[in-house]
Amino acid sequence: MAEYRVAHHSVLTGRSAIASNDIVLAPLPEGHVFQLLSIAQRSQVPLPAADSCLYGAGPEQWYVVGDAPLTVQAQATYFAALPKGAYVIDQSHGRVRIRIEGRRVEQVLAKGTGVDLTLSQFPLGSATTTLFGHIAAHLIRKDTNLFELMILRGFAESLWDELVRMSVEST
Amino acid sequence: MTSYRLASGGDIDRTSRLRFSFDGTKMEGLAGDTVASALLANGQQLVGRSFKYHRPRGILTAGSSEPNALLTIGTDGRVEPNTRATMQELFEGLVARSQNRWPSLKVDIGALNGLLSPFLNAGFYYKTFMWPAPLWEKFYEPFIRKAAGLGKASYDRDRDVYEKCWAHCDFLIVGAGPAGLSAALAAGRAGLRVIIADEHARTGGSLLSETATIGGLAAPALASQIRDELVSMPNVRILERTTVFGWYDDNVFGAIERVGKHLAETPAGVPVERLWRIVARKALLATGAEERPLVFGGNDIPGVMLASSMRTYLNRFGVAPGQKVAIFTTNDSGYALARDLEQAGVSLAAIVDSRAESSHRYQAKAPVIRGAVVTDAHGGKRVSSIDVSNNGRTRRIEIDALAMSGGFSPIIHLACHRGGKPEWSQKAAAFHAPATLKDLALAGSVTSAWGLYSSLRSGGGKAVDLAHDLGFKASVPDFGAVDGDVSVLSAETLWRVKKAKGKAFVDFQNDVHANDLDLAVQEGYGDVELAKRYTTNGMATDQGKLSNINAIGILAERRGVSVAQVGTTTFRPFYTPVSFGALTGASAGYHFQPVRKSPLHDWAKNNGAVFVETGLWYRSSWFPRNGERTWRESVDREVVNVRKNAGLCDVSMLGKIEICGSGAPEFLNRVYCNAFLKLPVGKARYGLMLREDGMIYDDGTTSRLAEDRYFMTTTTAYAAPVMTHLEFCAQVLWPELDVKLASVSDQWAQMAIAGPKSRAILQAIVDADISDEAFPFLGARDVSLLGGQLHGRLFRISFSGELAYELAVPAGYGASIADILMEVGKHHGIQPYGVEALTVLRIEKGHVTHNEINGTVVPDDLGFGRMVSTAKADFIGKAMLGREALNSADRAQLVGVVTLDPSKSFRSGSHILEKDSAPTLENDQGYVTSSCFSPHVGSTIGLALVTRGRERHGEEILIWNGLQNEFTPGRLCDPVFFDKENQKLHG
Repeated sequence: MAEYRVAHHSVLTGRSAIASNDIVLAPLPEGHVFQLLSIAQRSQVPLPAADSCLYGAGPEQWYVVGDAPLTVQAQATYFAALPKGAYVIDQSHGRVRIRIEGRRVEQVLAKGTGVDLTLSQFPLGSATTTLFGHIAAHLIRKDTNLFELMILRGFAESLWDELVRMSVEST
Repeated sequence: MTSYRLASGGDIDRTSRLRFSFDGTKMEGLAGDTVASALLANGQQLVGRSFKYHRPRGILTAGSSEPNALLTIGTDGRVEPNTRATMQELFEGLVARSQNRWPSLKVDIGALNGLLSPFLNAGFYYKTFMWPAPLWEKFYEPFIRKAAGLGKASYDRDRDVYEKCWAHCDFLIVGAGPAGLSAALAAGRAGLRVIIADEHARTGGSLLSETATIGGLAAPALASQIRDELVSMPNVRILERTTVFGWYDDNVFGAIERVGKHLAETPAGVPVERLWRIVARKALLATGAEERPLVFGGNDIPGVMLASSMRTYLNRFGVAPGQKVAIFTTNDSGYALARDLEQAGVSLAAIVDSRAESSHRYQAKAPVIRGAVVTDAHGGKRVSSIDVSNNGRTRRIEIDALAMSGGFSPIIHLACHRGGKPEWSQKAAAFHAPATLKDLALAGSVTSAWGLYSSLRSGGGKAVDLAHDLGFKASVPDFGAVDGDVSVLSAETLWRVKKAKGKAFVDFQNDVHANDLDLAVQEGYGDVELAKRYTTNGMATDQGKLSNINAIGILAERRGVSVAQVGTTTFRPFYTPVSFGALTGASAGYHFQPVRKSPLHDWAKNNGAVFVETGLWYRSSWFPRNGERTWRESVDREVVNVRKNAGLCDVSMLGKIEICGSGAPEFLNRVYCNAFLKLPVGKARYGLMLREDGMIYDDGTTSRLAEDRYFMTTTTAYAAPVMTHLEFCAQVLWPELDVKLASVSDQWAQMAIAGPKSRAILQAIVDADISDEAFPFLGARDVSLLGGQLHGRLFRISFSGELAYELAVPAGYGASIADILMEVGKHHGIQPYGVEALTVLRIEKGHVTHNEINGTVVPDDLGFGRMVSTAKADFIGKAMLGREALNSADRAQLVGVVTLDPSKSFRSGSHILEKDSAPTLENDQGYVTSSCFSPHVGSTIGLALVTRGRERHGEEILIWNGLQNEFTPGRLCDPVFFDKENQKLHG
């Protein structure tokens, strides 16, 4: 069946990013997202790629994410490197990530989430699951004015449209 | 003379003229005006008609408690009825209309109601319109609705946008008057995260209407100076035009910001109103106090106004109320107004002071009549004279405006929103907030701390205390000496003027006068809550902000008890009305609710799918082709094609859960009522999950992918509830089991490939052998696709009864794989099919969904009795399933239903009756849970839950649809209509 080539479809393809002085909204590449279960300490979680990031996802649960997809081989190597007793769930296609940053990012996000986003209360590296409007999302602070939202693939377009609406005032 | 604009004074921009219209008359105001001040400046004192008697009404206040000046503002879809002219800022081109009058404000036929007033008193609805009963709906109610009412909403689409927002702070201050500003300054300087909100357009509160100086600075200038400093602090947020309307659990406050209500058009993307939810660690109410009206005859005639409001119009807006003004007061605040009026060149006819003595030394020209009351005001559309009574004598004084002050009521609403009851202070003659409030304090005149100096000090002081509680060190700001302030101190109460001849209004908005309250007491409705409902006092859109206190006083006098014994009615949010638009926020139109899309959505769309909303999902219903005129034609074709060739259906919406851990086999064995412990790796099994009460909760297949890993599918609707249920089981019921759960519903694009040709089609893309021997029914395994390009999961399961598979591939590849399957299946006759065809296929096979699993059925009711394990020690639902009633022979059981005449039809929900019994629910035998047209049977078929259904196959019955009055003769039968031996399934 070599004549058929399977093609990947990114869910936010065709959605143009927003970029103003105050707010920047952009879809992130659909790379790798692994949900890790039963790992007690952050330090015990290995990362599969140089640019992979680690987000907390509740007690003993983690997300490992990165912009590039892993080859079957790289994935197998990574899974084998996980600590004993850990379980990994591939969510690379189940979650979509959106980057939002800018001077007014906290004000825009406050239209969706009840989480107090002030730097002192939600410092760099903080991650939490929150309801964003009516959509559950994983919210991560990457920098003072830079956040990442990770949502279920099926809701990605809807959340994107909500973020665009919330950003209009700042564009 | 009417009201008019003074030649100088006021905090308005005299160079910036704004045109507006009122009832079609063109007028001009100034930047900085409210609609109310602009109307008064134009001499327009008559602004509305009262609710019941259609009496002429004028502007009574200068704030949010305004009961009379309710106008309809705007045109088309931006119409907003019942807007308080006192709160609405003027803008160029504003269109305002009066309400509740016909044919015009000046000549209102409804005013004839005044002649009927003996019949329209308290409780008149209950007394007058009881008989004859049929007239209520046809005549009385439409008549009353037309005659009495507020403005009308528009049917046009609202072009504005609204939104909701969260805010968090250490310290929320409600009210930006002297106490609030002082508190904000203290807290802001100490570094707290402060939010200060005020319902008015500008911060300053009473400072903006004040002529006293503080530290040598004019009061409005001090307000500006403090505001400037607050604006410069990054830790302070000022929310102007923002009404904090409710206090909720966990110190969350609701607030509404009128972002664009003062603009002719809001800029694109900017909401016209924003609903805030403010989470505060500590909060301070600096909400001030409301001046009380006095209850005397004709106290509602245009030109009669609250004294502090008249002072606001004079000092802030440069508007004089008339040229011969009288002041009727029970306290010293009237003298501050007198001083300011005389300074502005307005002559005073008299100051009527109800007290025999006053400590205030008034040194101006107007005669002061002590120990006196105004018994009646006279005039039609404008007040022209008053009757003043003292020492047994009554004299008439010609005037053109009257100010009144009956003392002040602290604005404690928010403090009472969480159940606390106000407490009466005899000393302050006022209700105060409940004594114990968690994380909420009060400062300024809301605590009856009268005077500018006290307010500034108490605001700063409270802020220092609250900051200290939060670990901050703050100090009370010092603003210097106050000069020229008139401190009110406590007032003697005067709930009503007893000798009044005319109607003395208590509730202006609902036209409740003092005699109505007398009648309520007389007729046994003297309790404050009963009197409210009997008279409608306090039930209007102002919620009795001005009227409740006087009503309580009158009830107390009439009942011969204290004010404290009468008490208040219950305070509830909202403090002032909040628009439906704001409560809806952005969830309107396209953004009404989130849309959940399958990874195969675009594939289905490209194949011409018609979508249906199921929950938040968009599912493909059917795929019409050229020449098909009805949905049924498409669905019939799809069904027949699946049975004959093959079809592809998107089933990605099914819930998918991965269950990991060494405890997973035992976990599933306890969750399902059938056995799961020994399910081999590489196999799928249908599972029934029960509730604790023995009823079926959900069904689906679960496959064992590895020794310690399972893949569960749930129904679409129960994906989230089942996940929650499993988490509860794992975390709470059996924490000792090593089980971890993850929802993978969105990770996989899942498609059913069903029909006799399905194997041949799939084999073209699956690398491994999937012959019946290599991959038999209920097989489940990881598969390599297209020469190793991709890995997916293949399950040999069937909902249609055909040889069928479900293939799951990573979601991003779903559309591509579906396209390839359509391409390789083309010569096998593959067609896409939607949920309608899926439903027909499953009904033909007697497969159940939540139509049948309706929360009242146990496994045996659906023919699954033998699936329930008797060997297992325990599973959820086991104990309760043993109940006698759940094992009764009389239970409703799943059967099939067919019509006797194939040309006839019936609908789901129809009831089953014995053949010759009357159509009553008493004779009800059950109901049709699912129905469809079956191309295989050639008629409508259905599934039904019928009493003792299994032993009644072959019985003729009557299918009764009581809603449509349809009767269809039918027959009960085996619920499996197609391939009873399951030969195709195993093909």
